[in-house]
Amino acid sequence: MQPIIIGAGHNALIAAFYLAKAGHTPIVLERQGTVGGAAITEALAPGYRGPTLAHAFGPLAAAVLRDMQLERRGVTFVQPDPRLVALTLDGRALIFRRDDGKTAEAIRAFSAADAAKYSEFCAVLRTLGAFLANLVEMTPPSIDRPSTGEMWELLKTGRRFRSLGKRNAYRLLRWGPMAVADLVGEWFETDVLQAAIAARGIFGTTMGPWSAGTGTVLLLNATADPSPGGSSVTAAGGPGAVTRALADAAREAGAEIRTGADVARILVRDGAVTGVALADGSELAARAVVSGADPKRTFLKLMDPVDLEPGFIARIRNYRSSGTAAKVNLALGALPSFRGLDGGAAAQIRGRIHIGPGIDYLERAFDASKYGGMSTSPYLDVTIPTLADPSLAPSGRHVMSVYMQYAPYALRGKTWDAERDALGDIVLRTLEEYAPGITTLVEHRQVITPLDLERTYGLTGGHILHGEPALDQLFTMRPTLGWAQYRTPIDGLYLCGSGTHPGTGLTGMSGRNAAREITRSLKKKRSSA
Amino acid sequence: MANYDVIVIGGGHNGLVHAAYLARAGRKVLVLERRHVLGGAAVTEEIHPGFKYSVCSYVVSLLRPEIIRELDLPRHGLEILPLDGTFTPMPDGNYLWRVNDHAKTRREIARHSKVDAEAYEEYGKAMVEMGRFVKPILNMTPPDPTSLDPRGLMDLLFLGRRFQSLSGEDKYNQVQLMTMSAVDFLDQWFETDVLKATMSASGIIGTFLGVRSPGTAYVLLHHYMGEIDGAFRSWGLSRGGTGAISEAIAGAAREAGVEIRTQTAVSKILVKDGAAAGVVLENGDYFTADVVSSSVDPRRTFIQMVGAEHLPDDFAGDVRRYKFRGSSGKVNMALDALPDFTCLRGPGTHLRGAISISPSIDYMERAYDDAKYGRFSRHPYIDIVIPSLTDPSVAPPGKHVMSCFIQYAPYHLKDGTWDEQREAFGDTVVNTLSEYAPNLRNIILHRQVVTPLDLEREWGLTEGNIFQGELTLEQLFFLRPAPGWSQYKTPIRNLYMCGSATHPGGGIMGAPGRNAALRVLKESRTRTGDRRLLSPVS
Repeated sequence: MQPIIIGAGHNALIAAFYLAKAGHTPIVLERQGTVGGAAITEALAPGYRGPTLAHAFGPLAAAVLRDMQLERRGVTFVQPDPRLVALTLDGRALIFRRDDGKTAEAIRAFSAADAAKYSEFCAVLRTLGAFLANLVEMTPPSIDRPSTGEMWELLKTGRRFRSLGKRNAYRLLRWGPMAVADLVGEWFETDVLQAAIAARGIFGTTMGPWSAGTGTVLLLNATADPSPGGSSVTAAGGPGAVTRALADAAREAGAEIRTGADVARILVRDGAVTGVALADGSELAARAVVSGADPKRTFLKLMDPVDLEPGFIARIRNYRSSGTAAKVNLALGALPSFRGLDGGAAAQIRGRIHIGPGIDYLERAFDASKYGGMSTSPYLDVTIPTLADPSLAPSGRHVMSVYMQYAPYALRGKTWDAERDALGDIVLRTLEEYAPGITTLVEHRQVITPLDLERTYGLTGGHILHGEPALDQLFTMRPTLGWAQYRTPIDGLYLCGSGTHPGTGLTGMSGRNAAREITRSLKKKRSSA
Repeated sequence: MANYDVIVIGGGHNGLVHAAYLARAGRKVLVLERRHVLGGAAVTEEIHPGFKYSVCSYVVSLLRPEIIRELDLPRHGLEILPLDGTFTPMPDGNYLWRVNDHAKTRREIARHSKVDAEAYEEYGKAMVEMGRFVKPILNMTPPDPTSLDPRGLMDLLFLGRRFQSLSGEDKYNQVQLMTMSAVDFLDQWFETDVLKATMSASGIIGTFLGVRSPGTAYVLLHHYMGEIDGAFRSWGLSRGGTGAISEAIAGAAREAGVEIRTQTAVSKILVKDGAAAGVVLENGDYFTADVVSSSVDPRRTFIQMVGAEHLPDDFAGDVRRYKFRGSSGKVNMALDALPDFTCLRGPGTHLRGAISISPSIDYMERAYDDAKYGRFSRHPYIDIVIPSLTDPSVAPPGKHVMSCFIQYAPYHLKDGTWDEQREAFGDTVVNTLSEYAPNLRNIILHRQVVTPLDLEREWGLTEGNIFQGELTLEQLFFLRPAPGWSQYKTPIRNLYMCGSATHPGGGIMGAPGRNAALRVLKESRTRTGDRRLLSPVS
């Protein structure tokens, strides 16, 4: 069969690869001129290239790396050490290294009690992350009519749950619905340590550290990388190098990839998909269409509402995907110097830099967004990709990639096009407090607002995770209860993007899981045809 | 030989319900109350001559109908008067006034939005369905999901089956109710800001959460659960004040043979060989018993009365982690006349229900923001009732009692102490109300400000939490009050928990006291055999 895949983001490319491996010949249609979706490396200014959006991988699932042989295709992954540097307002830095023991040593400078607890916390997060990793790899079971296979899977999950032991089993049940601020507060007293870990529960979401359920986001992220500070995996050439290699692997397996092919409509007749119509007016027939776009875009933009039940449409409308993340990319004339990091600084900031020195700071940053304003003292997640790959900029110069929260998509009383510079200024003013003089190094500045994320990259509501990772929009409820198995109410139409389980950002699990279900479903179709 | 079969610590409504059920089953029960009056937080006191304040808890919402029936509370003087409607004045001179009469409410909502008036009907129907699903869970002893105990598995299976039997749409609603924020949930149904704000307010009462915090949607259900029982409205007042409920339960308990002592403060629970053996009073006296049931919160029970030395380390840690974080206060006033609201003048029936200062979602959310950073809300959410309009017995003729529940009033203040802030807090409430009812300032005869610190000192509610611990998902059902100890039992043999800190939690519901009593009876039956003739309890 020749399924059509809408979009060439990382999940779509991974789905294309596995479908091709299963004997299909998928055609991937990408609106943009390049593959990669939100994982791309592009020119920032003459001589400068950088990760336009995503700047660190989740990391990608090991199975994907292995099956798609990314390293053989020339991808060099970099896991920097230190992974994360968290800065404080009074000019100190807390450094998270790959080695938990060394990190604990660094924590000791802030609090001996916290240092003593750190390794146990790491161990618990590893245990819970490993348990949940099974759930992340699994297709969420059907709620109405679980099949024998699903019952078996659930039984196995139940047994794994019990084998966690009472202590950790209850931890899992408690941590999930908790506010991540409470969770870290139960373990640690150092504000910057709490904040650096809590940030993993709020990154990319429309929640603050005091929002209940952010514990789940932390746990979900721990399935890909259980280290408390999170993953900082990048690749030489930036994320674009990885998605290019994913595309190569898909092509080699038999997929066709067309860029500049903008799908305008998914065509449906009698409740079954018949193909897609492109923006240029041409049509492509297909008995299976896989959408890598987010659920809202797929069902509300690319489809004719008459093809869907009003009840289903109402649910998709209610699916929350209003984002709060913005991106600022900077071309710098030299490496900025951060307070708290003396000498050998370059070696210390090859991973991510966390700016958000305390829980209250992060929560206040979130507060602004509740009333439709952007944070004036925002939470920043920063990388300097040129430290891992100097070829991204002219010699001695650097690229800085900054995720900023909170910039609510629904800005109240203002437009993002008018506020673009104000956003850029806020980010630089904030950076200046931690890296004095950085403003004078800026040679070029690119500001990507939530509206840009929607218009240019097709992320509805500017939500970088294709929808809020809230308890009611996860697992069997992602994107909505009854439709969490990558299938849709339209026969032959499937979903494979981050708006499906597990929705963990740049791990590729949604694409991989989707391909497994779609293959199964197509096989059934073929045998019944 | 033990003096008593069971000693119950605390004479609040749960402690009394618990005692009554045990006595009816033939047990010799002693209830010990620290204060001079019974009822705990469900108490009515004449603080100002001639005016009876329901000092803390001020409305009845969910008192279990089976308890009313089984303890025959009406015969013991319980009379619940319906409290009809919620009136929400707005700063722009408009208002929202919902009453139990559906047609009337529909017309009123249509004044704000025709679409919402339509949706309100649908919403009500959906919520009644959901309430039907949740109700049996209230009377259930939560299963332990980590054990292989077949009973627990059966209970989990029962819950799963029940959930499966719901329609697709009801399942969807149910999942959303359990996890979403009140505002996100209501956003799906309604567009009128004030309607959503005032409805979502019920989701934050007694919690340290905002209306946009996930987990607050569930409480929306409570308003639709009372009605299903048909016995009484979702909100009501007890004739003679909230304390009359406690009096009625105490009456039933005494009739069944319970011995009740007030002004008798327990300081320690006697533990011998890992089992509770009795209690020591503050004056040094002691009583022995086969079973001790504590209706006070886990921190008081375990850290203060039992002592950490008797507890497994993990459990002691869990008890210390259990979150209280009180967030509310109370201002009770004696009034010379009725407040006159600018948006709807005169002493109309809108004053007879609840009056809610919750004019917008942003207003509610900003009130929460203040509390997050350690100060009381500059513009608080206020839930008001004027019980003297429904029950004239609580005030002299022509005068009134006004009860104001205030949120947020965080127990932990960033600056100063609650004793220093008391009057400023009271002034904030009066000032806020005066924006809507300017005559209020001139009619106040007496004002009582109850801070979260007062709730702790006077009523023993740790950190001023009115539910004996936050009603957040991680502290509910099989996690309440501690993981693995949700079945009213404790690591100390013969020591049970029977207060709001156990499933299903706070409010004048009585379910924890009753559930725990059934548990004690079941356990002691297996322990001692049919020592006594048991009278049926359900």
